[in-house]
Amino acid sequence: MERLRRWWDTLTERGAKQEKAAWPEYYRRYDSEVQHEFPPDRLLREVPVVILDTETTGLDVRQDRILSLGALKVYGNSINLGEKFEAYLPTPPGFEHSEAVAIHGIIPNSLRYSYVDEPTLLSDLLTYLGGSLIVGHHIGFDVAMLNQTLQRHGAGPLRNRVIDTADLARRLRPSGYWTPDHDFSLDALARRYRIPLSDRHTSLGDCYITGVLWLKLLSRLAVRVGHDLRVQDL
Amino acid sequence: MPNQITYRVYDFLKDIAPFSYLDQESLLRVASRVEVRYQPPGTVVFRPGEPPRDRFFVVKEGIIELYSEDADGQEMLVERCGERDIFGIRPLLAEDTYVFLARAVEESLLYAINSEGFRDIIPHHPRVLEYLATSMAGSSRYNLEYRAARRQKTDDDNGQLEPDLLPLQSLHRSREPVVCQANETIMEAARRMTDHGIGSILVVNEEHHPIGIVTDRDLRRCVATGVVSRKLPVLTIMSSPVACIPVDATVADVQIRMLKTGYHHLVQTEDGTDKSRVTGIVSEHDLLLLQGNNPAVVIQEIGSARSAGYLRELRDRAERLLSGYLEKEVAIGYITAVMTQINDEIIRKCIKLGLARMQADGHGNPPALFDWLTLGSQGRGEQLLRTDQDNALIFEDVSPSRYNSTKDYFLKLADYVTEFLNEVGYHYCDGDMMASNPKWCLSVSRWKDQFSEWMHENTAENLLNTSIFFDYRGVWGDGTLPDKLTTHIFSEMGGQSTRFQASLAMAALQNPSPLTFFRNFVVERSGEHKDQFDLKARAMRPLTDAARVLILQAQQGNINNTLRRYEALAKLEPQNARVYEEAAEAYELLIRLRAELGLKRGDNGRFVRPEELTQVQRLLLRNSFNPVKEIQQLLEIRFQLTFLR
Repeated sequence: MERLRRWWDTLTERGAKQEKAAWPEYYRRYDSEVQHEFPPDRLLREVPVVILDTETTGLDVRQDRILSLGALKVYGNSINLGEKFEAYLPTPPGFEHSEAVAIHGIIPNSLRYSYVDEPTLLSDLLTYLGGSLIVGHHIGFDVAMLNQTLQRHGAGPLRNRVIDTADLARRLRPSGYWTPDHDFSLDALARRYRIPLSDRHTSLGDCYITGVLWLKLLSRLAVRVGHDLRVQDL
Repeated sequence: MPNQITYRVYDFLKDIAPFSYLDQESLLRVASRVEVRYQPPGTVVFRPGEPPRDRFFVVKEGIIELYSEDADGQEMLVERCGERDIFGIRPLLAEDTYVFLARAVEESLLYAINSEGFRDIIPHHPRVLEYLATSMAGSSRYNLEYRAARRQKTDDDNGQLEPDLLPLQSLHRSREPVVCQANETIMEAARRMTDHGIGSILVVNEEHHPIGIVTDRDLRRCVATGVVSRKLPVLTIMSSPVACIPVDATVADVQIRMLKTGYHHLVQTEDGTDKSRVTGIVSEHDLLLLQGNNPAVVIQEIGSARSAGYLRELRDRAERLLSGYLEKEVAIGYITAVMTQINDEIIRKCIKLGLARMQADGHGNPPALFDWLTLGSQGRGEQLLRTDQDNALIFEDVSPSRYNSTKDYFLKLADYVTEFLNEVGYHYCDGDMMASNPKWCLSVSRWKDQFSEWMHENTAENLLNTSIFFDYRGVWGDGTLPDKLTTHIFSEMGGQSTRFQASLAMAALQNPSPLTFFRNFVVERSGEHKDQFDLKARAMRPLTDAARVLILQAQQGNINNTLRRYEALAKLEPQNARVYEEAAEAYELLIRLRAELGLKRGDNGRFVRPEELTQVQRLLLRNSFNPVKEIQQLLEIRFQLTFLR
């Protein structure tokens, strides 16, 4: 048994090593130079946070592609609009008639945007992210889309800690008879926490709404727990 | 390419001064660097003594309150900033620490503007600098801000920054004076006038000081009729002395002076008296040419009007004059002086019409000397728009047997006069504070008794009457009776004063300074004017009430005008001069604002909806509340009101 275990370990380690060797330069840098863990007693206001949102061709993580990605940085209680991240990808062939166009309004390959290719986007994004805490609404999907894209280009997955504002909202006010599950959509929450809903369904616009939501939720959580928030409170 | 959020921030900022003064490109650049700050309720944005940050704040949502701390660490509310208000702007201009504590009252979102980026923009946008400088400046900030705001509106794109301030400019261009010596003959003087094509000649002594003036009119009167020989020295026919003005007199000064003295020519001398060299001469005609429209013309017309209907027309014309003055930002002191003259002239005309009517009805001439008193704002000489009439009548003491018939006559007269005034557009007073009310048409001794009663019995109603009746001013009649009343009031005050003054001061505090806001303003909670701000009761009343009690205490009975009261108080109490000057400035601003709103809406401008004000007007209005508060604090201490409350 013990021997079997050791054998398995060496095998996976080797596998991992082989994989690492194939990583693109930008991912290797991201993986080795950046600290992704925060001590649990670290004050939350001292933790760098990136709010992230993607617009995609659809909801199938394996099939669909990212069309645009927006991100904003939050320090303490402020959102810095000067340090925004915004990138558009050309619509891949075969996705021009995607139903999602109606939602996000990104016309395939419209001349309104300047496009980058996926590796450039990934490289820039990882540099922008560093070790920040990633926050987003139903962020699991965006992270899965990004991980899928990273994998396609031979890179490993995102290593950042991820927080979903929908989960946070649910924690503050669990769903039940009074708040059915669909009440945790970004629209519903923005309404509940009185955040104006303009620029919905643009990556950056959603980021901004999510960012304000994040700050409002945190202040309520702090009241709930009765002390300054630390990483372990999340 | 600017993104959607930048555009959203831009959209929000573009209507707010000073951002509104920036061009789109610059503002987009500012917007793209904005930091959005979230402040949960009760959290602090900055504290006094903290070093300045490289940013200042605009409230996007919520309310931020600024507090100052006194020596005991007590917090005092200084300002309440609502949506679209700017605060924490000091660091942008002065490398100074924060003075106030800024705290969120409710959940708030702030746009933090990076001052570094903003500072780069200032040199290219002089108006921004001006705005910032004025919003920072000390005592004279209200008027300056006002000017900056108005300038923007009238400005065109060629960057011309000087508004049309003609009436405020010094009359540098007063004509080169044509002079003669006192011993020259009338004929010589007349020839010189003809040569120069002028209508008047100044008579000067050897030192070139003015001693008299000879006009066309004097020549016609004395010479053309052959009454006086043309070979006599001008000395014999000149008008003397002359009215002088200093070199730096403005058109406004000249006009007031002419209205007051009735002179058609004013002499400009080096020091403004007739004991210095003549430098120029200004005639009414010169002024007319300078100004185009002249209140003197309106006043003249009023004098020759034959019906209330025509008076109404003239008052409408005066209103157009007023709106022109407001537009040109003529000094409020001047505007009120002119409008008061016009109002007075209309009242006088109405009295004359009333007297003629009494004659026609067979009631004959007034059975006793009387004076017509105007009360309230017209009494104080600060009424700009037609408001309800407040007036009273005082007649000399007559024997008891004649009292009733005398009073009857004056009541009938007052009926006519108030009716005429009503036709002109000064509506009947709701509270019936008019000379046609038997209560307010009294002999001198009964008025004295009435005032004594008001001063001794400090009921709420009496205090209200006090606030209206104490600002009386005689506009027509014998002219001596109001002074008798004033003398009486001060002799009464000698004995019984303290309690009366204290209650008056109390009354001035009844409307607390409007610092508890709903979106910056205390609005009326109910009634016809729900959700409107009562400009008169909340901001102007406390200032007039305070000025009245302070001036009564200072025993300066003949100063009736709020602005002049504060002026006088500033001289009497140099240690409080700043408070009084700021109060006067705030009051000026309020008069102006009220007149502008009233003209725009065609009413008396008393109630304001916060949303109908421009942002700058709101800022100015809010700033004017600080002096209200300071004055109220001064009253509280001086009359020791904390013990009474």
